[in-house]
Amino acid sequence: MSGLRSGKRLHPELRFLGLAGPGAAFIVISLLLPLLSIVVFSFWRTESYELYADWNLDNYRTLLGEAAYRTFFLRSLVTAAIVTAICLVCGWPVAYFIARWGGRYRLLLVLLLAAPFFTGAILRITALQGLLGPIGLVNMTLVELGLPPIEALMYTQLASGLGLVYLFISFMVTAIYLSLVNFNFELLEVAKINGAKPWRAFIEITWPLNWIGTAIGIVLVFIPCLANVVTPRFLGGPDATSFGMSLSQQFGETGTWALGSAMGVFLFLASFAVILAIWPTIKLKRSGFTGAVQQ
Amino acid sequence: MPNAALELDSVTRRFGPVIAVDRISLAIEQDEFFALLGPSGSGKTTMLRLIAGLEQPDEGQVRIAGEVVTDLPPYRRGVGMVFQNFLLFPHKTVAENIVFPLRMQKMDRAQQQKQLGWILELLHLQGLEARYPNELSGGQQQRVALARGLISRPALLLLDEPLANLDRELRSEMEVEIRRYQKELKIPFVYVTHNQEEALTMSDRIAVMRNGRFEQIGAKTEIYTNPASAFVAAFVGHANRLDGQLSEIDGGLARMNWAGGQLLVPRPADAKSGDRVRYFIKHEDLEVTAAGLNGGGLNGHVANDINQVSGTLRDIIFKGQTANYIITLPQGTDLVVSDTPRTITLKPSDPVIVRWPAGSGACFAAEGA
Amino acid sequence: MSAGSFGFGRRVAPTAIILAAGLVLLYVFLYAPILYVVYTSFATDVVWPFPLDFTLTAYEDLFASSLYGEALSNSLKLAFGSAVISTFLAAGGAIAVLRYRSRRRGLVMFLFIAPLFVADLLIGISILAFNARVLGLPGNLVSAMAANAVQGTAFGFLIILAQLVRYNWSMDDAAMVFGAGPLRCFAEITLPTIWPSLFGAFLIAFILAFNNLEITFYNLGAIPTLPSVAWGSLRFGLGPELFALAALVNAFVFAIFAAMYGLMKTGLVKFGYRGQ
Repeated sequence: MSGLRSGKRLHPELRFLGLAGPGAAFIVISLLLPLLSIVVFSFWRTESYELYADWNLDNYRTLLGEAAYRTFFLRSLVTAAIVTAICLVCGWPVAYFIARWGGRYRLLLVLLLAAPFFTGAILRITALQGLLGPIGLVNMTLVELGLPPIEALMYTQLASGLGLVYLFISFMVTAIYLSLVNFNFELLEVAKINGAKPWRAFIEITWPLNWIGTAIGIVLVFIPCLANVVTPRFLGGPDATSFGMSLSQQFGETGTWALGSAMGVFLFLASFAVILAIWPTIKLKRSGFTGAVQQ
Repeated sequence: MPNAALELDSVTRRFGPVIAVDRISLAIEQDEFFALLGPSGSGKTTMLRLIAGLEQPDEGQVRIAGEVVTDLPPYRRGVGMVFQNFLLFPHKTVAENIVFPLRMQKMDRAQQQKQLGWILELLHLQGLEARYPNELSGGQQQRVALARGLISRPALLLLDEPLANLDRELRSEMEVEIRRYQKELKIPFVYVTHNQEEALTMSDRIAVMRNGRFEQIGAKTEIYTNPASAFVAAFVGHANRLDGQLSEIDGGLARMNWAGGQLLVPRPADAKSGDRVRYFIKHEDLEVTAAGLNGGGLNGHVANDINQVSGTLRDIIFKGQTANYIITLPQGTDLVVSDTPRTITLKPSDPVIVRWPAGSGACFAAEGA
Repeated sequence: MSAGSFGFGRRVAPTAIILAAGLVLLYVFLYAPILYVVYTSFATDVVWPFPLDFTLTAYEDLFASSLYGEALSNSLKLAFGSAVISTFLAAGGAIAVLRYRSRRRGLVMFLFIAPLFVADLLIGISILAFNARVLGLPGNLVSAMAANAVQGTAFGFLIILAQLVRYNWSMDDAAMVFGAGPLRCFAEITLPTIWPSLFGAFLIAFILAFNNLEITFYNLGAIPTLPSVAWGSLRFGLGPELFALAALVNAFVFAIFAAMYGLMKTGLVKFGYRGQ
């Protein structure tokens, strides 16, 4: 934060760079350059765990040619879309409640959403399995009572999706909440006086003014779901291999880094496509964003 | 006989132990400009919210155009409202903001555009239709808020301190305009303000509110010239306050002992000789002259039905059309006299005499005495 | 059509009740597995712990084993370091974007938010590939900290930005007019107002790094952390010690929450809440 150091006066642009520069440089070095490097590796070749700068398109040919990868990818895509939709529908009311009626306990209510993360994804998924899995509390109780177990929860897509909702819904709620705390709820009173019923006021006022926060929530859930490894592996059973699982194998067990890099590029492009799809709906003027700078 | 535009029947609203609105009854006529005047915390905004349906009364009834609306939500009441901080929808353009009430009424598009054209012209907003609220000046935002409130020609327009965020010049301009719209459109306005000048300039009738009750309700001239309580006398207009003791009651008048002399004041209700009283006399009811000319020098003297005191001119606050003369009396209190600046030529530290007609002003038993 | 009315003058909107029910349901969904973890930590059989055969063996084994202590300490170091880096960078970025009308604002915002659009897994493998094959660096605690701070910075930036949008920077100008230097001004005016959002950013970055599997896994080499120990022990079934450790971590977290609740209830510390 050299830009803040007292002494001679610094030009505002220098102060801006002093504040934002370190973070920006850090992102370039730790995110953009690594991503660029896997783009490069995706055109290389791996042989017995070593990368060779031997430019070719074989990795992409494999990726697009083999049905298995297509299946993995589509499976991940559909799962991520459904999970995101569920998180959106369930997350909005909760975020709205905290922002509108949480009062002085708002922060605590939000932190309660984040606290389960301290237990770690693997243990949480294992515990979810312990409750809902084939020999979990729910199904075993059903069997004890002489009822059939819920087979849908046994190593299925549904179980895997439920696990993803469990892991990521907090992101959705938090993103929407952060938008709603900056929302002027008085505007709803104005809408009602002007004849809008509550649901109409929501559609006309609340939703559009919180769309950016909602869009961020969608991205925050969709992208990790698309790439998720742990959940489908433990909850999804044999038919649930996801794109992320296959990708992580290239960097682990099989050591085919070049193919893995190509899969990474593919994953990135898919995430990017989602962002490109959402981007046109973000209109700063239409979001009520007034520009926070006062000079 | 047509129904009153708005009737409140013994309406009460409590917030925990606080009674924000206390058994208020009120009727407002079809083409009336009605002002609710009071300091902050007097319950005037709560009353407006009760009328709008944003709050519900604990007791009592609200009727708009004869129809009981007490349990109706705001969106079924058909009233318009203008807010202090305008509360324009930031994501909608000027035109979209203004036609919002018509869209909610499912009015057809052609009719909406016709109404929009009419109101844009009325409020001089042509050319701003496509702008967003944050691209407008304060005065323009104010007009858009007013246009949104008026476009559907509501049964009643509620205005909650709409001019409080505007600068002085713009405010006096808008005061005149708002009154003009009310008279032209013949829509009853209920106007909440803590600014007595706004209330006096714009309204036909004023209710002065304090602690959830009406201190006085009546025509604005009545409120101004004939305050019903010490609170109203102090709150409306600019008055000097003199505290004294009654010595003698004589019909409608009374003599008040004050600063070693006596003043002839109107007789307070239920007052008897010896009571401590508070006397209010408006700045513009006083007259100041140089001391030498009339040979006076007596303090607190009643002669020929004129109250008269002498003092020293401390300062002159020039206000343009008028000037305030601040006079220090021998015992240390200040009197303010408002007069035309050209009439007299006085300068600070001149000895002066202040006169006013005996029995003018207002006098009340001192509160809590 | 009157809103649900309870006694005199006290009304609770029916919508609020329905939404509160939704909130409670979500908490039940989120915390049922956590309670299961705590419960199971006292059981002899972690696979089918019903009925409870109460034992503290898991806790004894936990304290006897050096692996879990080491993993916990590594996770804490990693999370702390990563959270400090993230909070500093994010705060600088957010303040710069809100305060200065630079031409580079758009670019800076894009850079700071970009990590949100890249999955953990991708961040993990790309940094691994970059460090190992381009820079030739081995994985260690520092590189894992930096790798985790990428996402932490983005989340922190978002949180601080959302909270500071309404901060009035002319307060700082006022302080400077009265003679406070920039650092003094930051310490006395800005910081006391914005600390809850910095705290929020720190906390989120800490939680993310503490539990991250994918980024850490690829960048730490053989150094154990809690998630990587959990991952490693999965193929043999999770050890009861992990349940015990998770139960202890939760106990610690909830003790902090209870303290926060106490402070909020008495109004001693408001954590940035200034009424509605």
